[in-house]
Amino acid sequence: MNSGFWRQAMAVARRDLERERHAGEVVWVTIPFGAIALLLVPLAVGINQDVLSRIGTGMLFVVVMLFGVLTSIRRTNIETPPQRDAIALLGIDPVAEFAGKTAASAVVLLVFEVVMAAVAVALYGIDISGWWWMIIVLPLTAIGLAELGTISGAIAASVQAGPALVPLLVTPLAIPLLLGATQTVENIDPDGGNLSWLVLMAIVVLVLAIVGVLTARPLQETR
Amino acid sequence: MTARGRLAWLDITAVIAVVGALVFAMVSPRVESQGDSARMLFIHVPTIWLAYLAFAVTFVASIAFLVTRKLKWDLVAGSSAEIGVVFTTVAIIGGMIWGKATWNVYWTWDARLTLTAVMLFVYIGYLALRRAIPDPVARARRSSVLGILGLVQLIPVHFSVTWWRTLHQTNTFRPRDIQMDGPILAALLVSVAAFTLVYAALLRRRYQLAEMELEAHRAAAAAEGPVAGDAVSAPTIGST
Amino acid sequence: MPASNFHVEFSGVGVRIGMATILRDVELTVAPGESLGLFGANGAGKTTLLRVVATLLKPSGGSARVLGVNLDSPDRFDVRPRLGLIGHSPALYPELSLLANLEFAARVSGVSLAAAAEALRAVGMEQAADRPAGEASFGMQRRVEFAREIMLQPDLLLLDEPHSALDPSAIELVEHIVAGVLQRSGAVVLVSHDVDRVAPMVTRTAELRGGTIQ
Repeated sequence: MNSGFWRQAMAVARRDLERERHAGEVVWVTIPFGAIALLLVPLAVGINQDVLSRIGTGMLFVVVMLFGVLTSIRRTNIETPPQRDAIALLGIDPVAEFAGKTAASAVVLLVFEVVMAAVAVALYGIDISGWWWMIIVLPLTAIGLAELGTISGAIAASVQAGPALVPLLVTPLAIPLLLGATQTVENIDPDGGNLSWLVLMAIVVLVLAIVGVLTARPLQETR
Repeated sequence: MTARGRLAWLDITAVIAVVGALVFAMVSPRVESQGDSARMLFIHVPTIWLAYLAFAVTFVASIAFLVTRKLKWDLVAGSSAEIGVVFTTVAIIGGMIWGKATWNVYWTWDARLTLTAVMLFVYIGYLALRRAIPDPVARARRSSVLGILGLVQLIPVHFSVTWWRTLHQTNTFRPRDIQMDGPILAALLVSVAAFTLVYAALLRRRYQLAEMELEAHRAAAAAEGPVAGDAVSAPTIGST
Repeated sequence: MPASNFHVEFSGVGVRIGMATILRDVELTVAPGESLGLFGANGAGKTTLLRVVATLLKPSGGSARVLGVNLDSPDRFDVRPRLGLIGHSPALYPELSLLANLEFAARVSGVSLAAAAEALRAVGMEQAADRPAGEASFGMQRRVEFAREIMLQPDLLLLDEPHSALDPSAIELVEHIVAGVLQRSGAVVLVSHDVDRVAPMVTRTAELRGGTIQ
């Protein structure tokens, strides 16, 4: 991990965030799309306030997961073949590229999560007594989803059906993040059960980081 | 071709073993608390065992490919995943039928059932990825990464789903609740062994098929075909 | 094996993509200080050959060495920073400004940001530095890609149809860049279908026909 590694990782993260800032795809497409999904739920299940406040946190994380996947196939996260060639010839360290892309995606996902959480509280009247856990849960979810998205994106890169495949690859593997997030926040087990869920989430984040680092080079060789 | 012909013995043995195991299962004593539907155990347990075995083989073969870069390991990984998906589907449908017979519902949100469903989707994704990449080498590299990621990530999936169910305990479908008398246990073990033979036979057959597909692909690529650029000729109008 | 005296050394190189044979038995050497013009009709395989030289496409047969490294070995990743490629569609990020695109390449390569600004000035684009690449014309984007190669100083520069979309002053610029690479004992391979126009910047020519060098 020399200075070159961090310089390249930062450059990639900065590039992705700048691209996203200019394109505004998450702000103008993914966030409204997620918000409308949260709005659809009461229309489908009825507007019983008790039911809504009970399912609110769960719906929030389902939307975060299903629509968050869209951020990993956002236009500004996918490179065209000439762009891929150009970055390959810059001699970028594939691990630095993984780290940078993941960091940028995690930031984007965190913004998405925070806005969705606000919408869910407003629409469902959720009891937010256990929500201080969110300070840890939201970043962990964002990092885990970002790691899954970056690895899957690299697996599916330059495959014709790639962008269609990524959600299928990411979603089943994101289940520990979904369960960890909801179980921690809903505070079902008052005897410190939240902590073991957080540990599970942290382990998932760590394991995905290891997989991402170890597979970065084999995946680079595909281009 | 001799090697391919000889394998018929494995196929025949596997079929005989399964028929034998099923006969054994039908004549084994009835489990009083569960009725005859419990006899599904003799299919259900082996199929789910095979699903796990198949995906574990995919995982090991994926690592073997990344280490050795020999395409045959990728063929093993892909073949095994296909068989695993088939057995997982059978196991889920079997579990649902049992659930209907026992609790009058198809889906019980039991940890195992949920986990098995997740596993099915992970490997459907794996097969979808393989289908999407025509080049054997690129396919091997990308799918081996997914073959590793899929199984590694199934471990936390397993823990999370199990914990989640422990917190929401209701009537859980657990085969080990059934009293395992000697004869029943024996029948079950015979059945597991017989189905494992079926897996071995299917894997070798599917692997041979994959090998032939690869040979065909290579033969077609090696054939001195027309040069792509020759398809372009001078325009027939205008100047040369 | 002794170190190669050539920047590009291909022997019996073939490329097949799926069922199609694109290249076969390509024999090609490019020495330091040499600029090779590669000609051929549409579909002759010029771009494919250039991508093989750029290490972006592995040959399906034959022996290929670029800057002394065998393309079959994992070392091919290490020569990439010494290569420059200007392909025939722009590789810039459309959301980023022209300067930001150059600065990204500078950061990844460990070159100073001042060098990025300087290179943009050198290609006469400093006035448009803040324009998003997506809103710049094809010719302007090409100039920025030339600025990237001025900044990164590759040992082997690969150009695919360098004349497309360039005005006369930009063509002079390309000639200047090519001369600079040759002066540093680098080498250039450029692909074109127009022999006359690239004549001032090549020291040798070869024609690609029937998937091989004639």
